Amino acid sequence: MLTSSQNVPVFLIDPLILELINKDFEQVKNTSHGSTSECKFFCVPRDFTAFALRYHLWKNEEGWFRIAENMGFQCLKIESKDPRLDGIDSLSGTEIPLHYICRLASHAIHLVVFHERSGNYLWHGHLRLKGHMDRKFVPFRKLQFGRYPGAFDRPELQQITVDGLEVFIPKDPVRFLEEIPHSRFIECRYKEARAFFQQYLDDNTVEAMAFRKNAKELLQLAAKTLKKLGVRFWLSSGTCLGWYRQCNIIPYSKDVDLGIFIQDYKSDIISAFQDVGLPLKHKFGKVEDSLELSFQGKDDIKLDIFFFYEETDHMWNGGTQAKTGKKFKYLFPKFTLCWTEFVDMKIHVPCETIEYVEANYGKTWKIPVKTWDWKRSPPNVQPNGVWPISEWDEVIQLY
Amino acid sequence: MDDWKASSLIKPFGARKKRSWYLTWKYKLTNQRALRRFCQTGAVLFLLVTVIVNIKLILDTRRAISEANGDPEPEQDYDEALGRLEPSRRRGSGPRRVLDVEVYSSRSKVYVAVDGTTVLEDEAREQGRGIHVIVLNQATGHVMAKRVFDTYSPHEDEAMVLFLNMVAPGRVLICTVKDEGSFHLKDTAKALLRSLGSQAGPALGWRDTWAFVGRKGGPVLGEKHSKSPALSSWGDPVLLKTDVPLSSAEEAECHWADTELNRRRRRFCSKVEGYGSVCSCKDPTPIEFSPDPLPDNKVLNVPVAVIAGNRPNYLYRMLRSLLSAQGVSPQMITVFIDGYYEEPMDVVALFGLRGIQHTPISIKNARVSQHYKASLTATFNLFPEARFAVVLEEDLDVAVDFFSFLSQSIHLLEEDDSLYCISAWNDQGYEHTAEDPALLYRVETMPGLGWVLRKSLYKEELEPKWPTPEKLWDWDMWMRMPEQRRGRECIIPDVSRSYHFGIVGLNMNGYFHEAYFKKHKFNTVPGVQLRNVDSLKKEAYEVEIHRLLSEAEVLDHSKNPCEDSFLPDTEGHTYVAFIRMEKDDDFTTWTQLAKCLHIWDLDVRGNHRGLWRLFRKKNHFLVVGVPASPYSVKKPPSITPIFLEPPPKEEGAPGAAEQT
Repeated sequence: MLTSSQNVPVFLIDPLILELINKDFEQVKNTSHGSTSECKFFCVPRDFTAFALRYHLWKNEEGWFRIAENMGFQCLKIESKDPRLDGIDSLSGTEIPLHYICRLASHAIHLVVFHERSGNYLWHGHLRLKGHMDRKFVPFRKLQFGRYPGAFDRPELQQITVDGLEVFIPKDPVRFLEEIPHSRFIECRYKEARAFFQQYLDDNTVEAMAFRKNAKELLQLAAKTLKKLGVRFWLSSGTCLGWYRQCNIIPYSKDVDLGIFIQDYKSDIISAFQDVGLPLKHKFGKVEDSLELSFQGKDDIKLDIFFFYEETDHMWNGGTQAKTGKKFKYLFPKFTLCWTEFVDMKIHVPCETIEYVEANYGKTWKIPVKTWDWKRSPPNVQPNGVWPISEWDEVIQLY
Repeated sequence: MDDWKASSLIKPFGARKKRSWYLTWKYKLTNQRALRRFCQTGAVLFLLVTVIVNIKLILDTRRAISEANGDPEPEQDYDEALGRLEPSRRRGSGPRRVLDVEVYSSRSKVYVAVDGTTVLEDEAREQGRGIHVIVLNQATGHVMAKRVFDTYSPHEDEAMVLFLNMVAPGRVLICTVKDEGSFHLKDTAKALLRSLGSQAGPALGWRDTWAFVGRKGGPVLGEKHSKSPALSSWGDPVLLKTDVPLSSAEEAECHWADTELNRRRRRFCSKVEGYGSVCSCKDPTPIEFSPDPLPDNKVLNVPVAVIAGNRPNYLYRMLRSLLSAQGVSPQMITVFIDGYYEEPMDVVALFGLRGIQHTPISIKNARVSQHYKASLTATFNLFPEARFAVVLEEDLDVAVDFFSFLSQSIHLLEEDDSLYCISAWNDQGYEHTAEDPALLYRVETMPGLGWVLRKSLYKEELEPKWPTPEKLWDWDMWMRMPEQRRGRECIIPDVSRSYHFGIVGLNMNGYFHEAYFKKHKFNTVPGVQLRNVDSLKKEAYEVEIHRLLSEAEVLDHSKNPCEDSFLPDTEGHTYVAFIRMEKDDDFTTWTQLAKCLHIWDLDVRGNHRGLWRLFRKKNHFLVVGVPASPYSVKKPPSITPIFLEPPPKEEGAPGAAEQT
């Protein structure tokens, strides 16, 4: 069943089998090549077995199809344009393979083509059937991969022997399995971004470029720090708008904005940022209500972290005016998180980006606005009372 | 996302809905117990048939709807627009067996129409002079090649002969003259036209008009000619209308063995012409080269970007040499084509490589610049793991040891921050000034023409401030500017590992190429072991230069440095000469010396802190600029630096062209 894959750089990503292997991990690791007769894992009844194909290591693409077909496989190849060229002015090139599905009798092998992307991650494409393709080739709806494009951290691999077959699997199958349900990836809207820059010329002054460079470094540092802590975060406010509207950092935005769910809050966030040279600038609110942290990056760039609170039908984050102790509430429709690529990083954004951006900036978000008052401009701001003076020392901390 | 779980209950493509409908009916039926069993079974069978018919109907409707909608909603995941199948291109019933061809020749306009479709039209002023040649596929009538040879100018007739000889027998050839096509049409070319059966071609005179249609290898299918009545006037416009019988497809194709490679070859050869033996039926030249792998290849995973325009024959030559170089990895190569040109893309596909087209967005030099930027950005996007990229152009040959040269030197780029690039090209490496393929230099100028770019340099410094289209800058001139180069140097070989064969580039003309590029030395020795590579690092190189200068013999400064006798008739010696160079940017004497040595003199290249290194008569020849160079301390007190007077004010250089 698997031999055709032997000369192809693949690793096993099938959730069902990985799960089984993981349960029996110690035993699997200790089994030597001998016990070929047993078929504990690969013979579990199912329609597909999914493998990731590491495309950049693949050398014999042309010949491979033929070999598979000679072995009796029927193969389907799904290709598409290369998203890595989308961000660049009007390039079009050879299509890249996204999925191979090869069936033999009632079973099929799904080769999910993993492509290397900038930001040190692996990407696979959306499995979309073209007009002439056989819709009943395999039960497509049962596929575990391909409903959406996906992004994964590049896993370290290990070779193991399963049912007498040597296969590569992720070294940490649990982690990989956890990534699968949250792997959905959305591409930046490069075409719209280009249209935006045609209308509003890009700012290429030395200051703008310096800001972008510093903001990018700050974002990368913040991402690294939060990843180490295991804290999920996403691009919020102006940084999110910059990604969505122009696939870049807005040069006049003056800060980098991130969102974190309050349930992901960890008390060592502040010290972790301090350790990497980002001292706390202010802290507003408290964990139970309207928490907001602000760190000082170099060259006067601020890193703002807003904590999001979930209600039954919406999400919100809080704001505090230091002078008056006034509280504000910014409401958002509920959203989930998707991966995207931004300034050479794999990073989260709300999947429902347009709703998120429109909540924050209104329907006119496409028009650049350079003066923005956080207390009045956003359409989703609501007054939320005033902090009692007795709490000010705790909820308004300026450094 | 999360809610999308594999479920055996969900039948593909809406079958579930149909089933429940069927169940309802069945349920109703079984309730009517009065019905006889026979009737029941019959009804069920009937229903089954109806259901199947219905399912088919529904599916068909869905198909029709998605066809009508064009692009599907992203949520309709697996149902992309259907039925965008190409409508059959065949006209009427059965293919036509005759083409009607019109060919027009005149002073200011030429055109060619095939079956009413204009395939060539040129009435631009001051352009397109000479003989236009079109090649049609004899079975399909498709245009396979379109060229113009300005045979008013020298050597263009040689190019035409070369081209016509490469056209496969049986193809339909169309020729037409615009303005003047005879002045430099020499005997060889005329003889070739005669061999094609042309009457007027071999006798073509000054400002004659001429239109010709024929098969390669005969027969002639039509010809018209009008003599110019006087030196100052042109022949009358001629319009040739003729029928061209089409031959069968089998006749037009070769019978190569059915392999993947030959499938590529067949696709290529049925589309384009003018590539000679690659399309030869009997003995086609290989399109796969499998050169020896390079042991311990450090550049195996370095992406190679080939920057190309619309010069497919150049690209063909370039890729052949690239794919023949030891240690090449074809899957790392990407060809970036500036514009939506088909033929370069065909060449790329012939070799089974990756090709990317770039829609032009600005003009002339700025466009080249933007093309470079897009290509480099794309290269690092496609190979996010790469720390370097090799940059090549379509008009370069690469040496057989090109990758070996890079493999041996690339670690320098990682270990030495004071380096800007590694280049395969030595600006001063001519046949008479380069000698040692194992020798490397450090130079303050950036030669380009086959070079390695560090990703961090590109991503952190160059890309963010790359000149915008309205700047109209040359990318290479911009890269040479001190703001970009910031005192860093490039590593180059004494004997170049690339050869610039292009003549019809944006910045090149034939004379210019002849004078500055043709006699460039190019390494042809495989597997050269580079000498003492680590001595190219910043500090080590200074030690090396001091050692060299200490052992160098000082030449007789009373002699004329332009004379051959300036250097003794020895071999393997190291000599040094001191020239006047008042400040870092005073190149007066150097430029005069470069000129009389017949090396690059249009701007200053190849210097390292006021020192130039080259070979003369197989001796290493060092030139030190005094007092600007720090190596001036090596000058014996008795020696007066050589001063060469620049010529009195007149333009010495042929045009303001520059190198790449």
